[in-house]
Amino acid sequence: MNWRNNPQLQERLAAEYALGTLRGRARQCLERWMRENAALSRAVAEWQARLAPLALAVRPLPPPARVWRAIEARLPGAARPGLWDSVAFWRSLGLGASGAAAVLLAAVALVSPQAPVPAPAPVVLKVPSTEMAAVYLAVLSDPKTNKPLLLVSAGRHADQLQVRTLDPSIRVSGKDLELWALPAGGVPTSLGLVGDAERSMVKLAAAADKSLANVPALAISLEPKGGSPTGRATGPVLAIGPCVKFW
Amino acid sequence: MSPPADPLASLLAACAQGDRAAFERLYRDTAPKLFGVAMRILRREDWAEDVLQECYVRIWDHARDYRPGLAAPMTWMTSIVRNRCLDWLRRPNLEVRDEEGELIEAVESDRPGPLAALEASAGARALKKCLEALEAKQRQAIALAYFDGLSHSELASHLREPLGTVKTWVRRGLLRLKGCLEAP
Repeated sequence: MNWRNNPQLQERLAAEYALGTLRGRARQCLERWMRENAALSRAVAEWQARLAPLALAVRPLPPPARVWRAIEARLPGAARPGLWDSVAFWRSLGLGASGAAAVLLAAVALVSPQAPVPAPAPVVLKVPSTEMAAVYLAVLSDPKTNKPLLLVSAGRHADQLQVRTLDPSIRVSGKDLELWALPAGGVPTSLGLVGDAERSMVKLAAAADKSLANVPALAISLEPKGGSPTGRATGPVLAIGPCVKFW
Repeated sequence: MSPPADPLASLLAACAQGDRAAFERLYRDTAPKLFGVAMRILRREDWAEDVLQECYVRIWDHARDYRPGLAAPMTWMTSIVRNRCLDWLRRPNLEVRDEEGELIEAVESDRPGPLAALEASAGARALKKCLEALEAKQRQAIALAYFDGLSHSELASHLREPLGTVKTWVRRGLLRLKGCLEAP
């Protein structure tokens, strides 16, 4: 198990990562270890270089012109960059946890009674004082106005998220709200659909400690009834915010 | 080892400075190769297009993270595309691959297969020679994993061999490959 003191195992993991046969959790673990271990990331780079001629031997295939148009539209400064597609937004997710916490605090400040602007109804966050169990918390706000729209929370061992809709006007009839986890450096993954009630629950595949461990932010997108047909957000991002673990 | 004057490296450096024209040239010069890689693994044009789009946005965004000393530009970009393809295949709600069977044919029609095309550079020739020195089963498993993105269990069912056997082929094949490539 201890790969650090086992050069042979490191070498094998690096090789299978580069080949592509290391999958699932093992692949994610290795990506995490690579960030903290220069020798391992060098071993992976060496294997990628060894195998690279294989990729170059694959017959080239010119992609359709629409691909470049779509890429151009997603670059910063494009005519109508959706937040989801905005590189600046993805870069902002590179913030460390403290940065994320600061943004969250700012978001909470917005909903606090002291907020100077025409604030929505104040949200009081109650943390049970007797049992200070760790809790995940996300305030999702309108990306344009920063108005808080939803509050998402879960105990660390809970296998469901509590979602409270702060502003019912976020709903659009005939459409569903889909909640997304935005993992650091990864691809957004759907957590599920948000119910119509003011308070609803989204079932998690695993306990929050697992599902949200590497998820610095959550987002809500507007999707056709039943959720995104593609596995990726297809509609506009209506709300977004950092997801922070509190003790 | 990357040659010091790889024009792609200069384009990436310009991208890191926000040079959109350089990015477009980078795309023109590399997209057909990377689209070929994505199509080979994903076998569906719409998926390969989505992946390519995401990866180029990522390349633009992370151009400043590119380290010339660590990888050749094409290796770096290929790794981004391959990683994204493998992630893509892990999506839980994935439909059956290649509904339109002609796509797989189109990709597979590049007979006698990509291994034969491994003549482009000295590094490629060395890799080809070393792959050819492997046992046939080892070579086949490694090629399927790399070109087609098959996992161990997919390899096992494709090759109709027990999972453990296939894992051993891959492991030993990679070991021998490294030994061969590093031999003087």
